[in-house]
Amino acid sequence: MHKGYLCLVLHGHLPYVRHPEHEDFLEEDWLYEAITETYVPLIMVFERLASDRIDFRLTMTLSPTLISMLGDPLLQERYLKHINRLIELAHREIERTRWQPEFHHLALMYLSEFSKARDTFVRYNRNLVNAFKNFQDLGKLEIITCGATHGYFPLMDVHRESVRAQVKVAVSHYESVFGRKPKGIWLPECGYYPGQDGILKEAGIRYFFSDSHGVLHGTPRPKYGVFAPVYCKGTGVACFARDLESSKQVWSSIEGYPGDYNYREFYRDIGFDLEYDYIRPYIHPDGVRINTGIKYYRITGSGNNKEAYVPHWAQSKAAEQAGNFMFNRQKQAAYLYDFMQKKPIIVSPYDAELFGHWWYEGPMWLEFLIRKIACDQDELRLITPSEYLEENPRNQVITPSMSSWGWKGYSEMWLQGSNDWIYRHLHIASEKMTGLAKSYSEVNGLTKRALNQALRELLLAQSSDWAFILGTGTHTEYALRRTKDHLLRFNRLYEELNSNSIDEAWLADIEYKDNIFPGIDYRLHQ
Amino acid sequence: MVRVKKAKKVVVKKTRSTNNRIRIIKAKTGLRTETGKVSLGVQELSVGTTKFSNPEIQRLPKTFSRELPSGYGVDKMALLVRDPWWLYTYWEIKQETVERLKSELKDEFYIAKRVLRVYDVTNIIFNGSNANHFFDIQIHEFANNWYIDAGSPGKSWCVDLGLKLSDGRFITILRSNVVQTPLDGPSEITDEEWMIPDDMFARLYGMGFGLGRSSPVGKAWRERMISSPGIASMASPVKKAQKRGFWLRVDCELIVYGATVPDAKVTVQGKAINLRPDGTFTLRFALPDGKQVIPVKAVSADKVEERVITPIVTRETK
Repeated sequence: MHKGYLCLVLHGHLPYVRHPEHEDFLEEDWLYEAITETYVPLIMVFERLASDRIDFRLTMTLSPTLISMLGDPLLQERYLKHINRLIELAHREIERTRWQPEFHHLALMYLSEFSKARDTFVRYNRNLVNAFKNFQDLGKLEIITCGATHGYFPLMDVHRESVRAQVKVAVSHYESVFGRKPKGIWLPECGYYPGQDGILKEAGIRYFFSDSHGVLHGTPRPKYGVFAPVYCKGTGVACFARDLESSKQVWSSIEGYPGDYNYREFYRDIGFDLEYDYIRPYIHPDGVRINTGIKYYRITGSGNNKEAYVPHWAQSKAAEQAGNFMFNRQKQAAYLYDFMQKKPIIVSPYDAELFGHWWYEGPMWLEFLIRKIACDQDELRLITPSEYLEENPRNQVITPSMSSWGWKGYSEMWLQGSNDWIYRHLHIASEKMTGLAKSYSEVNGLTKRALNQALRELLLAQSSDWAFILGTGTHTEYALRRTKDHLLRFNRLYEELNSNSIDEAWLADIEYKDNIFPGIDYRLHQ
Repeated sequence: MVRVKKAKKVVVKKTRSTNNRIRIIKAKTGLRTETGKVSLGVQELSVGTTKFSNPEIQRLPKTFSRELPSGYGVDKMALLVRDPWWLYTYWEIKQETVERLKSELKDEFYIAKRVLRVYDVTNIIFNGSNANHFFDIQIHEFANNWYIDAGSPGKSWCVDLGLKLSDGRFITILRSNVVQTPLDGPSEITDEEWMIPDDMFARLYGMGFGLGRSSPVGKAWRERMISSPGIASMASPVKKAQKRGFWLRVDCELIVYGATVPDAKVTVQGKAINLRPDGTFTLRFALPDGKQVIPVKAVSADKVEERVITPIVTRETK
């Protein structure tokens, strides 16, 4: 008997990393790796499920920055170059490992994976958003939006106009890509501040997600805890809270699935392991060793000694863990159903890039889970938030509590000694942008271009990713540069607009570099 | 994951004085109103338009400063929420404001203590004097930001930066926005329509943090292992990079190379290989322990001639 719903959410996001001014740019690899290791494997899971007529429901964020990068011709061209180089490396590996049977078959496996990645990429006209859109049109996938550049909303509340711009630019970008409005939004970092749901309502968004304590600590108390959505007081926007139990099973560094000893070891990549002259053409042009994506070892144990990866061991482990996950959710749903006298919804959100990139077997686990839910039981049903709301329109009204899914549950990850200084610059830029949007109501030509570019620069500066990297304290140089560059470009545009002296050549140059959101309208920042 | 970053080639050009000049001119055109709010009227700027059409200023530098300004010439104070207990505030006081205070307060300005006055303004519309209560934090004269331990969650707060004079008077220099801190546990408020017995809620609450386990209210999230997932390549949620101790790794590879007539067919261990246009070839193998017999056979294009050379290599690792 059907006793509850499981809402799986994959949050797909990467910051906007695109550097046409450099031939080869290390941080662009974040995108290329995610395409090969996460997005293509997920698409292939969806394709197999569809061709086997397995019904499924999955909710997935595609952040506007990610959509923009996936659709960018320059990055598409560069990805092809990247994957072709990897295919070449795989061929060489097949030859090199001829006398090492334990690695040789893995080299063959990588060749097959990389070739499939290239084929899939080409099959969808080099733009994987087309693939995700197909599955949305088939009713299997619900694609939700995010902040335009993944700005962290709670620390923007001083100038709510910026939150509004993050939301509205995202929504209009979504419409231009998918031909309809998004039903839901993933608040960047799950960051919620009371009252900001009003902006979501203005933008026509029906629901968002919060971390568990966002709802549990809401006022008044939520009757069903995190196992039913609530409506925000005053706006009626629905909020679905994360179930920590199911999250922990996947995320946790200690008891989580991805740490199983049979799984592939992320940290042993041939980019670091192999002889320098041999691997040189496949690492960074500067000669710095980087990950290639070819990894031959399994986690093995907690020590440094690593043994060869055995795919079928990993596969049976993934199947076993998918079964375990489903069993736990069935138990949880049955228990909650008795307790609540109502079907609970268990919301399990994860970073999409966990699947495949960090947790190599993640897509496989997901496929097993979906197949098992479809075929092996009838207690749990996969559902999207909008379907749930249609079936269960009556929900409690509360004011959720400020929260995030970051370290310690609030804003400290993005507000600490190493990154707190950025807010005085970001906020004044927000204030100036609001002023610009108000003073220039109808403009054309160069002024309009400068105003639109000013909003692009501000949005790009606001990405929570930069504050996050600064907060981690390692490899901060790039994040620092990005924060400063976008703010400096904004400041200069502001000065040039005010002094009526727009330098067109320079404007054209930054339009070329920071080309995100071609249809942006600066008036959205109000 | 250890990501080694390449320092990008960046041409750093020195700031040209033109930038500063523009800033100074802007400050003089009186862009700020008394309240410290930005007044962005284009009209105001049009006053200076003739000035700005000065050919020297029109030549805006192609590159500009690579560092952010230390200040923006404004009076501004912002208050942010870090978590249920802590607030963060930053501020900037413009020079004119300091000068005005100096001339009004004379010597008192130098004796006065610089203070953050933190007002609890929960459930009121704050008018400057009706706070539920307040407390002062004495700060350093040159500080421009502060983390405030507000002491109790679920409240609304506002902060003044001010001077505490020797006679006890408090002079506000800047006032922040109002923020609300979240509760650190479930709300005491349970409306009648949705009344739930406490014990039932406690069970649901515990389940929110882990099936069947009763979590200490408000503490559970602090114990969880889930840290911010962040972007894919920066921090692994799966496991932290291990700091390895001292270690040594040794491996061997074997390079087999040779040359023949460019149109010959060559096999190595029975497997056909491609020759370079000049007839040379290179093969590279990982070399495990044991004996490798590597017959290299070349057959001429017309299949009349044949040569076989067989290197035998043994690796023994001790």
